[in-house]
Amino acid sequence: MSDSANRRNDHWWRHLVLWVAICIAVLPPLYVVSAAFNADQTLSGSSLIPRSFTLENFKGLFVQKEGGAEVFFVRWFRASVIIAVLNAFFTVFIGALSAYAFSRFRFRGRRMGMLFLLLIQMFPGLLNLVAIYLIVLRTGEVVPALGLNKLTALLVVYLSGAMSVNLWLMKGFFDSIPTELDESARVDGATPSQIFWGVILPLAVPVLSVVGMFAFVGTLNEFITASVLLETVDNFTLPLGLQSYVGTNFEENWGSFASGVLIAQIPAIIGFVFVQKYIISGLTQGSVKG
Amino acid sequence: MTNTVQYRPSLLAWFISLFSGIGGLIVKLLLLCVLNGITGWAIIVLFTQDRVGWALGTIAVLALIDFIYLVPNRFLPAKFIVPGSVLLIAYLIVPIFFTINTAFQQYSTGHVLTKSEAIETNIEQNVVQGDRFFQMTPARDASGELVLVLVDDTSGQTYLGRESGLEEIDPTTVTVDDFGDVLPPEGFTPLVGDELFAIDAELAAFEVPLDNGGVIRTEGLSGAYDSAPGFEYEQSTDALIATDTGVAYRDNGRGSFESADGEQLVVGWREYIGFENFTAVVTNPLVRQPFLRAFVWTIGFAGSTVLISFAIGLFLAKVIDKRNLRGKKFYRSMLVIPYAIPGFLSLLVFKGLLNDDYGLINKLLPFDPPWLFDPWWARLSVILVSVWLTTPYFLLVCMGALQSIPAELVEAARVDGAGRWQVFRKVTLPLLLVVVTPLLIASFAYNFNNFNNVYLLTGGGPSTDDQAVAGATDILISYTYKLAFESGKGQDYGLASAISIYIFFIVAAMSASGFLRSKALENMK
Repeated sequence: MSDSANRRNDHWWRHLVLWVAICIAVLPPLYVVSAAFNADQTLSGSSLIPRSFTLENFKGLFVQKEGGAEVFFVRWFRASVIIAVLNAFFTVFIGALSAYAFSRFRFRGRRMGMLFLLLIQMFPGLLNLVAIYLIVLRTGEVVPALGLNKLTALLVVYLSGAMSVNLWLMKGFFDSIPTELDESARVDGATPSQIFWGVILPLAVPVLSVVGMFAFVGTLNEFITASVLLETVDNFTLPLGLQSYVGTNFEENWGSFASGVLIAQIPAIIGFVFVQKYIISGLTQGSVKG
Repeated sequence: MTNTVQYRPSLLAWFISLFSGIGGLIVKLLLLCVLNGITGWAIIVLFTQDRVGWALGTIAVLALIDFIYLVPNRFLPAKFIVPGSVLLIAYLIVPIFFTINTAFQQYSTGHVLTKSEAIETNIEQNVVQGDRFFQMTPARDASGELVLVLVDDTSGQTYLGRESGLEEIDPTTVTVDDFGDVLPPEGFTPLVGDELFAIDAELAAFEVPLDNGGVIRTEGLSGAYDSAPGFEYEQSTDALIATDTGVAYRDNGRGSFESADGEQLVVGWREYIGFENFTAVVTNPLVRQPFLRAFVWTIGFAGSTVLISFAIGLFLAKVIDKRNLRGKKFYRSMLVIPYAIPGFLSLLVFKGLLNDDYGLINKLLPFDPPWLFDPWWARLSVILVSVWLTTPYFLLVCMGALQSIPAELVEAARVDGAGRWQVFRKVTLPLLLVVVTPLLIASFAYNFNNFNNVYLLTGGGPSTDDQAVAGATDILISYTYKLAFESGKGQDYGLASAISIYIFFIVAAMSASGFLRSKALENMK
C-alpha cells in the first residue's frame, strides 16, 4: 500500500515532463485549429484561443464570395483524392508485380537489377525535374493527356518510382511467404500468374495495404513535382492550392489556409482507418503451420 | 483437434484471387488493347508531325511489349517487370542520365542555346546602325502589297522599299510636301490615319533587305534607317568577325566566342567541358565558398537535428517507460501527433508561427527574436522545427528498442551495485545504439537532403552580404536547386548537376555504411 503510494509520488515529475512535451507537440496543430475557426482572417489577428468563433473560413473554401476570387478548393480536393487513390492502386500493382518477379524467379541481372534499383533512389531527384518537365512537354505534343498541366501526366510521373521505392519492402514480405505454397499450387497445375493472383497477393494483403497507404498519403502531400507540372490554379492539387493561399500573401489568407489544412487531413485519416484492419490481419500464420 | 485449417480470406484477398485465371487474362488483354490503342494513335500523330525516328522507335517498343505478353510461358520475369520498368526508364532513369550528361556541360545563363542558334543570335542581336536616314511613307501598290516610299535625308535619292529588296526610283516622281510628308508616286496609295495605325506592328517588323547583308528598318511612322550586321560568320575559321573593327571572335572550346584579347560575346552555347564543373568546387573561389559553407551547414543541420531529436526522443521514451505509469497510451499518441501531420503543412504553419511581426510565438514571448531574418536565428529556427518534426520518430524507435533490451541485464547491473545513471550509460545506451545506429544514419542521410525543411521555412535565406547564391540556411540540395532554377544571380544548370552528383555519392556512402551495419548485425545474431 505505502509502496505503491510512494511510487505514485515518484511519478509526478514524469507527468510534468510529458505534459510539457505534449504542449510543445500540439501547440502548432492547435494553433491551426484555432485559426480555422477564428473570425479574423489575418495572421496578425490570429491567437491561440479564437476571440470569436466562426465557420466563415470553411464556407469561404466552398462558396465564392460576392466579388471575390473564384474558389477552386473542391476541384483541388477532388483532384488530390483521385490522383492519390489511382497512384496508391497502381503503385501497389506495379510494385507487387516487380517484387514477385524478383522474389520468385531467378533470371540474369536479378541481383544487379535490385542493387541498381536501390542505388537510383539515392540520386537527389530534385534536378531530374528539369528533364521530367522537358519529357512531359514533348510527350504532350503527341499525347495531350500526358502533357503539361494534366493530372494524368502527374500520375504517370509519380508512378515512375512505383517499382523501385517499395521493392525491397515488398520483396522481403514475399520472401517470407513459404515457397511450399507456390509449389503445391504448381503441382495442381497453376501458372505463375495464377500463383501471383491466387496465392501470393491474397497473402500479401498486409504489405500491400501498408505500401498503398504510404503511396496514398505521400501523394496527398506531394508538392514539388506537382508545382513543376501543373500550371493553372484550376488544375492544382491540394498542397499546391493551400500553398497558393499563403505563398504570395501570407498575411491575409491565414484563415482560409488553416481551415483548408484541416479539411486536407480528412482523406489521409479515412485512408488510414480503412486500411488499418488489413495491416493487423496477418494471414501467413494461418495458412501454413508446422 | 481437427486437421482442416479454417482459411477465411479477407474480402480484399478474396477479390484479388478472382483475377487468378480467366478473369486476369481478360483484364490483361483489355489493358494490352488500351495500350496498343493509345500508343498506335500516338504513332500516327508522330508520323504526321514528321518525327519518323520517334515513330519507328515507339513501334519497336510497342512490338516488344506485345511480343513479351502474347507469347505464352516465356519471358516470365519480363512479363512481371515490364510495367514498372517502362515508367521507371521514361521518368526516372532518362532524367538521371540527362542530369549526369548536363554535369559535363557548360550549361548556364548565356549558355542555353545550341551553337548554330548562338551564331544566329549573335549576328541578329549585334546590329550596327548605318549612316543613312530616310523619310518614309508607307503605301500600298496596285496589288495591295506594303511598300515603303523612302527619301534619303542627305542625298535626296528616292527608293521603293519592298520585302523583296530596295529599288531606286526617279526623285521627280516623289514629292515632299510642306509638312515634310512624302507623297508617293502614281499608282501608290499612301496609308494615313486609322489605316496607318492598324498596321503599326506590321510596320515595325518590316525589313527591306540590302545587298550588303544589312536591312532598312522603319522608325516610327515616318522614318527609316539602314543597319548592317555587326558580325559575319566565317565558316573556315569557325569565327565571328566584327564587321566594323575586323576583330575575330573564335570558338574558345568552352561555349563562347572569344577575341584574342579575351573579350567574350554575351551569347554562348552549351558545350562539353569535361570535369570543369566538378573541379570548380575546388578551384573557383566563387563556387568554393558557398559550396563549403552550404556543406558545413548541411552537416551541422542534419547532425544536430538527428542528435537532438534522438536525445529528446530517448529521454521521453525513458520517462514513459515506467511500469505503472498512468496514461502511457495517451501520452504516446499525443506525442506522435507531429509525425502524423504532413511535414510540408507543418512547415508552412511554422512559417506563420515564427513570423516576426504577427507570429504567435513572438506574441507569447516577452521579447521578439528575428526568427527568420537573422542568419543565426534562422539557423536555430530551421533546427528547432526539424527537431519538432523528427522527435516523434525517434520516440517511437526508442520505445520499441528499450523494450527489446533484456530486463535481466539491467537487473544484473543493479545487483552489482550500479546506479541508475551508470546502468543507463554502461548497459542500456550501448545496447540501444546497436539497434538504433542504422536508423540514425538513415535519418541523417534523409535530413542531408531535406529540401522542404529549409526551403519552405526560410527559403534558404536570409541571404548573406556577399554575392553568393547560397543563403545562411541553404543546405546543399537547396543551394543546388537555387543554382539550377532561381535566376537573379545567374542560373548554372551544369554546376548544379555536378553538385547533385556529389550529393549522390555522399548519400550513397552514408547509406552503404548504414546498410552494412544492419547486415553485420544480422550476421552476428
